[in-house]
Amino acid sequence: MTRVGVLDSSNLTGGQRLAVKYFTVALVLFGAQILFGLLAGLQYLKPDFLYGVLDFNVNRMVHINAMVVWMLYGFLGSVYWLMEDEAQHPVVGLKLGEIAFWVLTLAVTVVVLVYLFVQYGPGDIKTIWFINEGREYIEAPRWADIGIVVVVLVFYFNVLATFIKGRFTGIGGVIVLDLFALAGLYLAGMFFTPNISIDQYWWWWVIHLWVEATWEVLVGAIMAWGLMKTLGVSRRIVQTWLYIEVALMFGSGILGLGHHYFWIGTPDYWFEIGGFFSALEPIPLVAMVVHSLYDAGKHHMKSSNHPALAWLIAHAFGNFLGAGVWGFMHTLPQINLYTHGTQWTPSHGHLAFFGAYATINIAFFYLAAQQWRGNVYMGAGIAGAWRWKWALTLLSVGVLGMTMALLIAGYEQSFIERAINGSTWAGYFEAQNHPWFQQAMWWRQIFGWVTAAGYLLLVWDLLAIGAGETRTATRVGHESEEAEAGAEAAPATA
Amino acid sequence: MEDCDGMLQPVELQDFFITFFSAAMVILFGALYAMLFAWGRLHNRPRLVWWGYAAYAGLVAAVLTLADATHLTGLWTWLVVAMLVGYLVAPHAIWHLCQGTHAGMEDEEAAAGQGRASPVHPAQR
Repeated sequence: MTRVGVLDSSNLTGGQRLAVKYFTVALVLFGAQILFGLLAGLQYLKPDFLYGVLDFNVNRMVHINAMVVWMLYGFLGSVYWLMEDEAQHPVVGLKLGEIAFWVLTLAVTVVVLVYLFVQYGPGDIKTIWFINEGREYIEAPRWADIGIVVVVLVFYFNVLATFIKGRFTGIGGVIVLDLFALAGLYLAGMFFTPNISIDQYWWWWVIHLWVEATWEVLVGAIMAWGLMKTLGVSRRIVQTWLYIEVALMFGSGILGLGHHYFWIGTPDYWFEIGGFFSALEPIPLVAMVVHSLYDAGKHHMKSSNHPALAWLIAHAFGNFLGAGVWGFMHTLPQINLYTHGTQWTPSHGHLAFFGAYATINIAFFYLAAQQWRGNVYMGAGIAGAWRWKWALTLLSVGVLGMTMALLIAGYEQSFIERAINGSTWAGYFEAQNHPWFQQAMWWRQIFGWVTAAGYLLLVWDLLAIGAGETRTATRVGHESEEAEAGAEAAPATA
Repeated sequence: MEDCDGMLQPVELQDFFITFFSAAMVILFGALYAMLFAWGRLHNRPRLVWWGYAAYAGLVAAVLTLADATHLTGLWTWLVVAMLVGYLVAPHAIWHLCQGTHAGMEDEEAAAGQGRASPVHPAQR
């Protein structure tokens, strides 16, 4: 029997219970990302803070790795969350999926402990296997790399087998194909060559093609399902748009890779290719503006889960601003010559990752919280609504504030260090000691604390929202969705 | 400044701000144009559509300023053309796709006797 307003795992299906585990670890790692970001930020202001105990390079590495991994946990959890509903079939090989989750979580814990406790020493083949592979953003040692591949293969089996045994929808098809690309691209980061240009060439396949192609498409598929559930948008419409989005994202995103090949020793033609396709990358985001307005006009924003819908809206705006505007401002090689590697990059990175990925994961946390409490009412007038509103506000203001502060620092660096002083060491130190840079770093730290406050409020709200509420949520657009699903399932099962 | 490799001429120091600003304005005007265009068509308010075209004029100005500051000449001229044409056409194309996808649904819903009100003003259908 469904228990409304009480956190009860019997309210969840098997796949959803596994998803909640992924979401829980994701939320913990989100906290770790913020904590280590704050420590690294403090070290910009007080360079001797924790020097020799927990060095800047380690804090920065854990900050970024925690972000990559919590987002992956969020995506895996989201796919487990929607899979059974979408395929109309229980997860195939759920036990194997459970084991894979614990193996992955244990591996992540060991890798982070090794990062924290083994911070020095020469690099050789042993350290590549057991300590740190040495590639920025994907530093996990090779044993963990292989473990990740095995876990992803198990996950892929769960997804593919469930959709094959159940209902193969458009959303399911996009997820299956996209996960294949996502897993395959990871292999490009698992070998090294002594030629740094060739090494970087392949390394960017993981970094760029994950983030600006496969992640965007996966998020598109997750968003499509989320829109059906929160706004009751028709399946046929979201799927048609998903296909269009996949075409636009892959069409511009794959060769947009060229903007990472400007300065690593690759041939000159990457200037034109990278510049041209990078200019096209915002077009899918602009297209979404038209589409979202059209759909908003149709559904008048009636939603069964207000916090989730608010985070989905934050996703649409954040993705547009962070990836679109902040990306294009410094992507053409004529200006990127001066901006790459300065604080421009984290300025763009903070807003783009938050806007495009953190927001949609948080939206799914709220969908999970709703179902976990027995599909509890989460519409207008719920008790304690101030918490989710303030969490959204503080997190958004915090990240936007950090973005602006880093933008000022990056502008100053590209001007003084790069353009005036020609990227010399003297120029580097002059830029680092300039008042604009120093003040910007203080502001970044202050907005980092605002972000941390938003995070704490978010955790509190996720644990408390819907507690004691006795009303259940009204399903939006349910009849037409089921009718369409039935119509679509027929040929698949015939 | 000399071409650094015969194909690429970096931005001049004094043009840094104008480059960042105009690049941001390209995307913002592009979104504003798309938004006003969609909203105007959705609610049959031609004046908003014309404001949308005014936003597109702003986009043209931003693209030309960016092209001047970043020396988009030679092969790079195609990038300018692609931006001007792409941003002009994209909202129209997306609008037609929106109408197409929703029209199919509305016909089916009407046939099933559960028709919802169309978001498109009758004059725009």
